[in-house]
Amino acid sequence: MPSRVSSAALSLRGLSKAFGATLAVDRLDLEVPSGSFFGFVGPNGAGKTTTLSMATGLLRPDAGTVQVMGHDVWSDTVHAKQLVGILPDGLRLFDRLTGLQLICYSGLLRGMDRALVVERAHELLGALGLQEEGGALVVDYSAGMTKKISLACALIHAPRLLVLDEPFEGVDPVSTSTIRQILEGYAASGGTVILSSHVMDLIQRLCDRVAIVDAGQIRAVGTLDEVRSGMTLEERFVQLVGGTTDVGEGLAWLRSSSD
Amino acid sequence: MVALIVGLKWQLLRNGLRRSTPQLVGLILGGLYGLGVLAVAATGLISLRFAVPSDVARTVVIIGGSALTLGWMLFPVIAYGIDETLDPARFATFAVPRRELVLGLLVSSLVSVPAAVTVILGLATVITWSRSVLAVLVAPVAAAVAVLTCVALSRVTSTAFSAMSRHRRGREAASVLMLLLSVGFGVVGSSILKRLSTPGLLAHVADVLGWTPLGLAWSAPADIAGGAIGSGLLRLGLAVVVLAAALLAWNSLLRSALENPRGVSGDRASTGDTGLGWFGRMPATPTGAVAARSITAWLRDPRYITSVALMLLLPLGLLLPPLTGGSNLWSLAMAPTAGFLLGWSMHNDIAYDGTAFWAHVATGVSGRADRIGRLAPTAVVASALLPGYASLACALTGRWILWPALFGVGLGFLLTGFGVASVMSALQPYPVPGPGENPFGAPPGSSALTVVVQAVAGTAVFVLNLPLIGIGLGALAGHAWMGWLCLGLAVVLGSAALALGTWWGARIYERRAPELLADLSRIR
Repeated sequence: MPSRVSSAALSLRGLSKAFGATLAVDRLDLEVPSGSFFGFVGPNGAGKTTTLSMATGLLRPDAGTVQVMGHDVWSDTVHAKQLVGILPDGLRLFDRLTGLQLICYSGLLRGMDRALVVERAHELLGALGLQEEGGALVVDYSAGMTKKISLACALIHAPRLLVLDEPFEGVDPVSTSTIRQILEGYAASGGTVILSSHVMDLIQRLCDRVAIVDAGQIRAVGTLDEVRSGMTLEERFVQLVGGTTDVGEGLAWLRSSSD
Repeated sequence: MVALIVGLKWQLLRNGLRRSTPQLVGLILGGLYGLGVLAVAATGLISLRFAVPSDVARTVVIIGGSALTLGWMLFPVIAYGIDETLDPARFATFAVPRRELVLGLLVSSLVSVPAAVTVILGLATVITWSRSVLAVLVAPVAAAVAVLTCVALSRVTSTAFSAMSRHRRGREAASVLMLLLSVGFGVVGSSILKRLSTPGLLAHVADVLGWTPLGLAWSAPADIAGGAIGSGLLRLGLAVVVLAAALLAWNSLLRSALENPRGVSGDRASTGDTGLGWFGRMPATPTGAVAARSITAWLRDPRYITSVALMLLLPLGLLLPPLTGGSNLWSLAMAPTAGFLLGWSMHNDIAYDGTAFWAHVATGVSGRADRIGRLAPTAVVASALLPGYASLACALTGRWILWPALFGVGLGFLLTGFGVASVMSALQPYPVPGPGENPFGAPPGSSALTVVVQAVAGTAVFVLNLPLIGIGLGALAGHAWMGWLCLGLAVVLGSAALALGTWWGARIYERRAPELLADLSRIR
């Protein structure tokens, strides 16, 4: 059924990446259906950022293939990159530009028309509540403003697939709500969103599909209800990934009510 | 509390030694070298005891002592970021009374290798001045005051500088200030060296320094040993006042550092530029966008500003010989030097992006656009500098016939430099200071890589231009037509090197863009 292949916005097959002796991603397979709002969760060091970097062409995999809407990211690079908007985690920005300049830079690098870029950039600044700050240097922005400006850079070319690595980290509740509304509107109009996060509650409210990744492999994937199987996402996550959550009788001296 | 802080410093010093073996070997070799220098200096000071006339001892101790004090004052700025082990701001969350903290930090500053060296040198001067009973009594006091002044002044500069560094603008201002200071010292220093042969100059310099805060404590025992008891005691009194003033200044700086440890302030000044800036002026293509981004960075990022200033000033250094009475033929090298520096300097441009380079990888911008766009700011600077320096040299020497040759060699260096750099920067970036870090600091770890890449790029540019240099020398020898040949050849060969270099560089770039990003995140 070739139609089934093209219905996936992102398709990862046998993806592997090792850093020295550490296997960060281990023969990982993942299908993200078109139009889904996909949550990608896992503990620290599970290989989330490595996987998303390989999926977006920022990091070359040791093995495996990545397809965006049927275009191979590592051979049909130009087409694939036009379809994707990225918000990476832990990478710098050209922060000596003003917010407006940074958004326009992302558009112009993609060869877009200047008038269109400027028009969209102003609209994005307005929607993200950054009109006042458009002329300030990005280096002076707060963490939340930086995430918002990065999101604007990812959206400027109207991508079909958005890949967001930790888009809510260090973001205050007001900005979180703004970003949520923009993402929900984008998904409602047919766009596909993949986002990684540590905050299970947020994933639970935002996403319709979830994958839990640990030690470079997918541990559970499917619709939110399939993965949760009757529990909260957090309980299911801890059950799958393991580790200690019960601190028992330790740290008794820390409880001020104990005496 | 004082004992605790001093103990902390001692522990930090010892832990500093607990490193890998090669580092330890380097440290021991450096220590042995330092001990050798110290032994020579101390022996020199002791032998000065027997120098006749005693003026020599006076001159040496005052100038050396003042230089040592100045070094203490400036070291925390040049090496900023290195010794913040006892950064006062780190004590902000502990409830340490400030009086004890001041005392503790001052005493702990004495627990360091440079402080030990200074103490030994100070003690050696006591022997230098053991020429009369009164001098023997005063000299240890003066030495103690001198050593404490050194330490206190260095604390003042380091606290003031780290307060300044808490704000981005302050940090940027400070690094540009440092550049101007070091250039200033270079010019003053070289003009003093030129006049060293003038008799009595050094004694005169010592006389002046002896009345400045830097030299007061060092000159007091010299006066007394020489019989001028009144002026000696006056200097000692003034030296104590200087020490007290330095301590007071440090105390008040510490207060602000402790009360506002993170330097919380609204640093979010608007550029006043709500428009597109250079993005509105350059062509609306990927190449134009890369060019606009590079030009904006050159204007706003202190790392580029300092390197531009250096490239402007280094060729001007060739004017020093003519200005100080030497041959004005040196000035002929200005345009070629500028061309070489400007072209060659682009060979690591991509490293200055740091991981922000991901934007180029993610958008899939073509290698050609990336390579050519980056050259824009240097090309703009060069289009003013090369003709300017060539004209300046011709005006100085009065040989305008040489203009085509000078400009030609400069242009050849620039364009081949661009070509070589376009290939090199796609092949192998090496670490540079990150945005907002000290532009003079070299990131540790890979100096070998840095030296190799720089040498390869420099050699390649030089070898490619050997024919042009030969023809240029022919023009210098008096064959005017060779000057025009040089210029013509520079245009043809330079353009070819530029075209070939950007084409090859673009191919490498497109093959290696993700690997370049991986390199950049590793070297950060």
